[in-house]
Amino acid sequence: MTQQTKLGLGFMGPAIVIVVLLFLAPVLLTGFFSFTNMSTATGISGGTYRITESVLNRLPADQVRPDVIVSLSESQFVVDEAGLEAMRAEGLDPAFIEELAERHGAEVFTSGDDLEDAMKDLDNRPRSIRVIKGAVDMFERSLRDRDFAEEAAFTAALDDAVVDLTDNERVVIVQAAYSGWTMTTSNFSRLWSTPQTGQVIINTLFYVGMTLLLFNVGFALVLAITTTFLPAGQSAFFRAIWFLPRISPSVLYVLLWKWLAWDTGFINAVLGQFGMAGRNWMLDTTANAWVFVILINGFVGASMGMIIFTSAIRAIPKPLFYAAQVDGASRWQQVRFIILPQLVWPLLFVSTYQTLSLLTSFEYILLSTEGGPGSTTEVWSLSAYQTALSNYAGNLQYGYGATMALVLVAIGVAASLLFLRLFNFKHLVSRPRIEQ
Amino acid sequence: MEDGKRTWHIATILGIASVPLIIMYLFLVIDTVTDTTAGSPIPDRFTFEHWRFLWQRIDGRQSIWLVTMNTFIFAASTTVLVLAISSTAAYALSRLNMPFRRFFLAGILVLHGFPTITLIIAIFLILNMIGLYNTLIGVILVKAALELPLGIWIMKGFYDSVPWEIEMAGIQDGASRFMVWRVLVLPQVAPGILALGVFSFLAGWSEYILPQVLAPNANVQVLSVYLAGLIADDLNPDFNLFKSVGLFYMVPVVIFYLFFQKHLMNIYGGGTKG
Repeated sequence: MTQQTKLGLGFMGPAIVIVVLLFLAPVLLTGFFSFTNMSTATGISGGTYRITESVLNRLPADQVRPDVIVSLSESQFVVDEAGLEAMRAEGLDPAFIEELAERHGAEVFTSGDDLEDAMKDLDNRPRSIRVIKGAVDMFERSLRDRDFAEEAAFTAALDDAVVDLTDNERVVIVQAAYSGWTMTTSNFSRLWSTPQTGQVIINTLFYVGMTLLLFNVGFALVLAITTTFLPAGQSAFFRAIWFLPRISPSVLYVLLWKWLAWDTGFINAVLGQFGMAGRNWMLDTTANAWVFVILINGFVGASMGMIIFTSAIRAIPKPLFYAAQVDGASRWQQVRFIILPQLVWPLLFVSTYQTLSLLTSFEYILLSTEGGPGSTTEVWSLSAYQTALSNYAGNLQYGYGATMALVLVAIGVAASLLFLRLFNFKHLVSRPRIEQ
Repeated sequence: MEDGKRTWHIATILGIASVPLIIMYLFLVIDTVTDTTAGSPIPDRFTFEHWRFLWQRIDGRQSIWLVTMNTFIFAASTTVLVLAISSTAAYALSRLNMPFRRFFLAGILVLHGFPTITLIIAIFLILNMIGLYNTLIGVILVKAALELPLGIWIMKGFYDSVPWEIEMAGIQDGASRFMVWRVLVLPQVAPGILALGVFSFLAGWSEYILPQVLAPNANVQVLSVYLAGLIADDLNPDFNLFKSVGLFYMVPVVIFYLFFQKHLMNIYGGGTKG
């Protein structure tokens, strides 16, 4: 390995490590997580085996016999060798143990009281009731609400509790009792069959389309073209105004819109002067909510197009405009025949880039309407976020959310590969010129 | 493109379209030092009451200074990480012959265009599994990782424009490639380091979703999460207070922007926000 190669890999090392761990791994793991049923209920780092009320209710009636479920649900008292052994270890009267084994060996009692009565009837019973109760406890065979970390230990305990368990029943019960996450494909079928999915797709297309057309491309173009005709001072003023949303922290920017639109906000204060009743303009109707979602995103988005289009227009040689003016071309004709033809590539770039950006970002909607009122402004990316990371119900479905995110990740990968094609890649990777 | 024709109608139309922005940002400043009688749009008296968050805690929340400190640590650490890693990696990509160079470059380019926010769910789960959930370190590492492709790409652009002759001369004089980079090349890309540094700092300072999801705990809270929490919990919103906190939060951004406008425009033009 040459000196140069060593230095190169050394210089790349930290970047590779951090990008692989926190950038590439999440891409791949989004795919992995989408095949799990991970949620608040299953936890993230694995679970335990435990028979609970809800596990018993979930056991399928056609695969597990009713009496198995009964014996799992109730504490049973089985006079078995393990219990007798425990009594010997406690140092109880051997005669008592002997008699118990002889008269009640392998017998199953459904309650502790019954076993206690049976013990009291024995000839060699201990005098103390407390000792008898202690002995009864040694025969309690119940799985209810006990945690098992290992599957093997749980299966063993299961076989102790229910003697005649079939193999199929064992598999079904172990599966149901596991509280951790498991692999599944149900997220995809659920996503496909849920009616809500269709509505969210329609919302997303409407949101991306309208914001893009009206602001990120449309108004950005208007800003870039009109400011080229204004005196320098005025155009700088307008560009600065429209750049403010981009440099403002998102939380603050959306706060300003809330101040404008809420019940106690500025619009109502102004309208109140004319005797109009106050309302929450951002959230009172679906239409208003959409107007604000598009305005909030559009006012930020317009500035990127504005910058790119402006610099493209500035790159047009000035004599072209002078010649056009001498020939008597109107402003509109200058725009139509000189400026717009030069903006084809910037328009294409801004459109594709902003489509991807609008499709995947949910920050401004989350901060303004949170998808409301109801879920009328819920878009795909926000829906994924709320499913997995934040909702009022508190049941976070990481697996299902990852499935929703996977769709966006796939679109993102496809789009960024497309960007790679659009760049002149060969030129960018021309070989270094110092050879050692 | 002044062409001697009248422009007042263009200015008027733009002015009308800009009214919401002008009102919002004007009142952002005015409302922090005034009070307004309920139901009136016009403030009618001065007060410094809305800045009380500077010397007392609001509704049992963290002290604003601890939160500001967290925000600074978060933004500064991210910046240092991004600068250190991308200034070396970009040099390797720009100037050094090494195996997989084309592959690395293509990878950086693809990641550069990739919408990182879609990874938030997987990142949340990963941080939980490796025990970095609810720590500043975790969210700093994630933010730096997500900024890296952009950072490396920008720095590579700056390295590409450094004349080869400088390095050739260094090599001729017997310096190692490392010395050449440190002593001769690095000073040449100082403007790039400055631009990327300012950009990373502002990106960290303004970041909301990552700290909100990955480190919501009160002890590691940053200003964006603090302000969002203040707004979300209030049924009877005190917009003057929110705006004062907001202005306090935005002041460093404005200062940075005024001083480094030219540097930043290059990067913002590439676009990182919707």
